[in-house]
Amino acid sequence: MMKRNVLAGVSLTAMLMAGGAYADTVKIANISELSGAGAAAGTVWAHGVDLAVDEINEHGGILGMQVEMREYDSQTDPLQSRALVQKAIDEGAFALLGTVYSSSTVVNMLVAQQNGIPQFTASEAPSITQKGNPYIFRTNWGAQKGMPKIGAYMRDQLGVENVAVAWANTEFGKGGHDSFVEIVEEMGLKVVADVPSEQGQADFSADVLRIKNSGAEAVFIYLTQEEAARFLMEATKQGLEIPKIGDSVLTSEKVIELAGPAANGAKGHAALTIAADEPRVQEFAAKFTDRFGYSPDYNAMKGYIGAYTIKYATEMVGEVDSQKLADTVHGLCLDAEEYPGVLIDMCWDDTGEVSRESYMVEVVNGQEQVSEVLPAN
Amino acid sequence: MTALRLLFLVAFGLALFIAPLGQGNYIIYVLCSWLIFSISAMGLNLTLGYAGQISLAQAAFMGIGAYITALLTMAGVHWIVAVFCSIGASFVIGLVLGYPALRVQHHFLAFVTLAFTTLVFLVLRNEDWLTGGSLGLVGIPRPVFGPFDTMKQLPFYYFTVVCFLITAGVMAWMLHSPWGRAFKALRENPIRANSLGLNTTRMTLLAFAIGSAMGGLAGALQAPLVQFIEPGSFTLILSLKILLMVIVGGSGYFFGPILGAGLVVLLPEMLRFTDGYYLIIYALLVLVVMIFSPHGLIGLGQKLLSSFKPREERGDLKQGAQL
Repeated sequence: MMKRNVLAGVSLTAMLMAGGAYADTVKIANISELSGAGAAAGTVWAHGVDLAVDEINEHGGILGMQVEMREYDSQTDPLQSRALVQKAIDEGAFALLGTVYSSSTVVNMLVAQQNGIPQFTASEAPSITQKGNPYIFRTNWGAQKGMPKIGAYMRDQLGVENVAVAWANTEFGKGGHDSFVEIVEEMGLKVVADVPSEQGQADFSADVLRIKNSGAEAVFIYLTQEEAARFLMEATKQGLEIPKIGDSVLTSEKVIELAGPAANGAKGHAALTIAADEPRVQEFAAKFTDRFGYSPDYNAMKGYIGAYTIKYATEMVGEVDSQKLADTVHGLCLDAEEYPGVLIDMCWDDTGEVSRESYMVEVVNGQEQVSEVLPAN
Repeated sequence: MTALRLLFLVAFGLALFIAPLGQGNYIIYVLCSWLIFSISAMGLNLTLGYAGQISLAQAAFMGIGAYITALLTMAGVHWIVAVFCSIGASFVIGLVLGYPALRVQHHFLAFVTLAFTTLVFLVLRNEDWLTGGSLGLVGIPRPVFGPFDTMKQLPFYYFTVVCFLITAGVMAWMLHSPWGRAFKALRENPIRANSLGLNTTRMTLLAFAIGSAMGGLAGALQAPLVQFIEPGSFTLILSLKILLMVIVGGSGYFFGPILGAGLVVLLPEMLRFTDGYYLIIYALLVLVVMIFSPHGLIGLGQKLLSSFKPREERGDLKQGAQL
């Protein structure tokens, strides 16, 4: 009898503990491109998120509760990503991370908005924060914020007048292309070659030839990773000697890996780079490389920052509440000294847009090197 | 119609109405996609399974339907008007494309329709002023029918079910009409059909145009479901996906594309618990089905059924054998 009572007591305690553990978790979902055309970027982002979430859980979770993380593969399909954001919300996620590709984010953020769930995205298309969605937050600034810095760099530092633009004809590329062209034309530069390309395009010989014959003194490259690598390889093959300027994609680890020596000399304007002379960034890079066996890039940093932002902002609110989290992040500034998970000081405005200082990075001997630090705008 | 068949139809209809009850929005969304792709695949089945022609243009017709409905409803036109415009435009474009294209057959037709899909994608992407270019169109309204507002997921599902049932009904009626028999004759033996006085060119063209119009209808439903469309959603990959639905389900069978669409849309969802492996398992399953049953799942089912059924022997032959 005694034995049975003890057994009942133990199982009851176990049940209560299990029930308690269930109640004491915070549900976060990550929807990213783990397969399909965007797998290169999406997987790195997801690894960044994983690293942050595991660290958060090791150090006591959020508000003392463990983070229950769910991952969803959008297959780089906007329709699928929309469905999965719905699924994540149905399954109780109080905040979302993802997606990376802007063409997906622009669709699935509508669902998060309808449900009032804050979403931290890696996407950089200008349109995302211009639609008045109060639940979308970037983890890096949109392309339109980087363009004036790149334009000024080309005009003042390189002294060029005629530029060529090679861009991806997708939501991501078009947004960046449009704001770049508008800004450099305002600055008095002339766009002499405007060369769009397809997602997954393999042959860039005609594109490079057009730029070579256009008389451009510099080329602005706004392509996704695999395409950027192919472009650089073709440029080397055809001996395109003019400066090759891009954003964070052009000098990212993946592009360097794919393009090999052809990436040398490419310059990128990056907000997030492991070449940054910041001990926190270096520490992050070391942890990441140690765990996943390859060097992180800006997408990994974005994922890491996104997950930590949810932690910090939720702890400021003091409870797990989607609406209050969204309200808190609007106008929030996080100092990296106090909040090391954001790596570099950053602020959000009322539209969810981010500002932080940035770097001009050059690829030298297969390594990213910071050539200049540009202030936040 | 046998009693068994009637019973099956009633059960299927009931299941459609019960399926979303108590489910989350996500499952309802997936069920909506299934029904919409079923409509599109039924259209392609008409071209492929009945008229015997391979078309890779079904995605383009869905795109045409989706953009027409999106643009019209965003301009304030009611969905009912917009959907007829979508169907009508797809039908006419199908006729115009089919007339010269069907002079070539089989894989040549596949190439022509492939080029057409690429063309439609390029027009949708490059004509920014109308289609929004690669940024697509966002915020497509869902239809309202008097007091019945489909803005929420569940009412939209029932709205999709009604559209699906109407389409399936029309399709069934058509297949049992002289047209349907002409289509079947065409598939079985075009030369014999021709020699029986059937205008094969006209019938093939008609099957292609009606199939295209159904693609247009599916697009007109997809636009309000997703509330966002972009040219990238209507590329060759989608055409191949719809082709896969028809072939895996069983081309030439009425329920083939419905089953196939279910498999293509729902199976990856069911396999998600296997994490990183789900697409591999899915691809393997499709391969296995195709290797063991080139006639698709319905063909496989019939094969299994007939192996269990005792073979009916003709009495007169049996008698003859005894003589």
